[in-house]
Amino acid sequence: MPETGSNGRQAAGKRGGRKNKGSEMLLEIENLTKVYRTGTRANDGIDLAVGEGEVFGLLGHNGAGKTTLVNQVVGLLRPTAGSIRIDGRDMVAAPGLARRLCSFQAQAQVPIDGLTPRQAIDLVGQLRGASNADVRRRRERLVDALDLGEWLDVDAARLSGGVKRLVAFAMAAVTPGRLVMLDEPTNDVDPVRRRLLWRQVRTLADLGAAVLLVTHNVIEAERSVDRLAILDEGRVIAEGTPAALKARVGAALRLELVLDPGTPEPPASPFALSAVQVGNRLMVGVPMDRAGEAVTWAEWLKTAGSVEEFTLGPATLEDVYVALVGEMGAEPAETEEAFDATAA
Amino acid sequence: MQLLRSYRLLVTWQALRKKNYLPLMMAVQTLFSLGIVLGYPLLFPTLDRTSIYLIATGAPAISMVSVGLVALPQTVGEQKTEGSLAYMRSLPVPRLSYLVADLTVWLAIVIPGVVLGVLVGAWRFGLDLQVSPLVVPAVLMVALTSTCVGYAIASLLPYMLTVIITQAIVVFVFMFSPLTFLPDKLPGWLEAIHRVLPVQAMGEVTRGTLAPNEFGLPLGAFLTLAVWCSLGFGVTYAAMTRRG
Repeated sequence: MPETGSNGRQAAGKRGGRKNKGSEMLLEIENLTKVYRTGTRANDGIDLAVGEGEVFGLLGHNGAGKTTLVNQVVGLLRPTAGSIRIDGRDMVAAPGLARRLCSFQAQAQVPIDGLTPRQAIDLVGQLRGASNADVRRRRERLVDALDLGEWLDVDAARLSGGVKRLVAFAMAAVTPGRLVMLDEPTNDVDPVRRRLLWRQVRTLADLGAAVLLVTHNVIEAERSVDRLAILDEGRVIAEGTPAALKARVGAALRLELVLDPGTPEPPASPFALSAVQVGNRLMVGVPMDRAGEAVTWAEWLKTAGSVEEFTLGPATLEDVYVALVGEMGAEPAETEEAFDATAA
Repeated sequence: MQLLRSYRLLVTWQALRKKNYLPLMMAVQTLFSLGIVLGYPLLFPTLDRTSIYLIATGAPAISMVSVGLVALPQTVGEQKTEGSLAYMRSLPVPRLSYLVADLTVWLAIVIPGVVLGVLVGAWRFGLDLQVSPLVVPAVLMVALTSTCVGYAIASLLPYMLTVIITQAIVVFVFMFSPLTFLPDKLPGWLEAIHRVLPVQAMGEVTRGTLAPNEFGLPLGAFLTLAVWCSLGFGVTYAAMTRRG
């Protein structure tokens, strides 16, 4: 991999050279099934593939099976059935090789109290096999890029959750594997540094890594991933580019209504392709040619007092996510605000 | 070379991780030794020669057991809960390097208390200890067995159960284990249990090499320690390499 590179290739696959499914993929998962001893079927016949230079998103509710999947790839869990291949090699049979080929940011906060970010990043970079000079150079770039300089020599016990999260990302990225797996990397990170982090995620892919990004933050995923899969109850229920998934649901526009708290039932919408209510927000999928009708209807509801305010805009990946996962009978997706509150 | 490099890096990692409470842990553990050496004569103003030697040589043994079977399992259990072990397991480092590196740091915590305990004991009771050359491997063996068994406890049990079990071990080791007294003071059934458990062997090996003129050095004790050490190491290693 990149400049630090003892574990991977030199910078190769620039963004334009990204591979699509169907061509040779770095990570290939087939029929992956994991049943815990308690009987919980966390993964149920999952197929997916990620190419070099690609950022692949894995979306789903808490408990959808995302973390179970990445833990199997990195060899912390043994699959009940199915195969995991990296560069054509069987990772279930060779978990040691999997750890060399993958760098991993776990969902849990990285346990580095007692260490400073400088020590933690350098030690992990060296443990992953890079030379001291390479690690130092790459750490300096990451610290600058993530704006972590002021905390570089502070004991991690005194760092906020968001800064620790960024340090954990730097630990995964300092000597990246050919596959980089990031499990909820933006949790607790402030909005400004979250953008810096997404830029570094893209840089990893541009330098040739395959990036598997686990998140429940649909809004951010839409802006950051090349392709994604939506996981629900251990199964992949949709896969494709954000644009392809949005086309699949059909609604070009989203009408969002903030209902008056006193409104007992959501008002029926005559043109809705889909309608999902989360709290007092009602999101209605609207075809492009009925936009005027939708606005008239929403204004009428507002005049009648059952709606406090409304907005009409292009449909988002969140609408797709809510439509797909909601229709499957799961709990409704968290709202954009709820995601932001979680991540703030 | 790679194995050595990862061992060195992991020792650094583990020592830095523990640095905030490492001096405190070493101080408390040293106080264990000193407390026994200085406190027992207050409880029993008249001590015979054998008892004096037993206390002076039993104190460092208790200190090693208390770190290995109490402080270590509690700390490792806590690390397991916070995801430290899982994180280490996701890195491309040999499990053996990790385990040996952590044991190295724990041995470094144990040894100063042992040395200080022996010196203070000899000074307090005016003993001229004719220490056997075997004392270095003997003390390392006791410390290693203690830490390996402690590691196995933490690897096998959930954290809360580890805490409870280690509290019970404290009482068992201090009150009912032949470290500062000879096993024939115990009731027969407890004496029989101690012939199988490692604690009595730890006491015998420690006093047999610290004061060889006063106590014999039963080879069986070394054998008992070797078995328990291998068992502890094996169980820990198996737990670390197991995929759920």
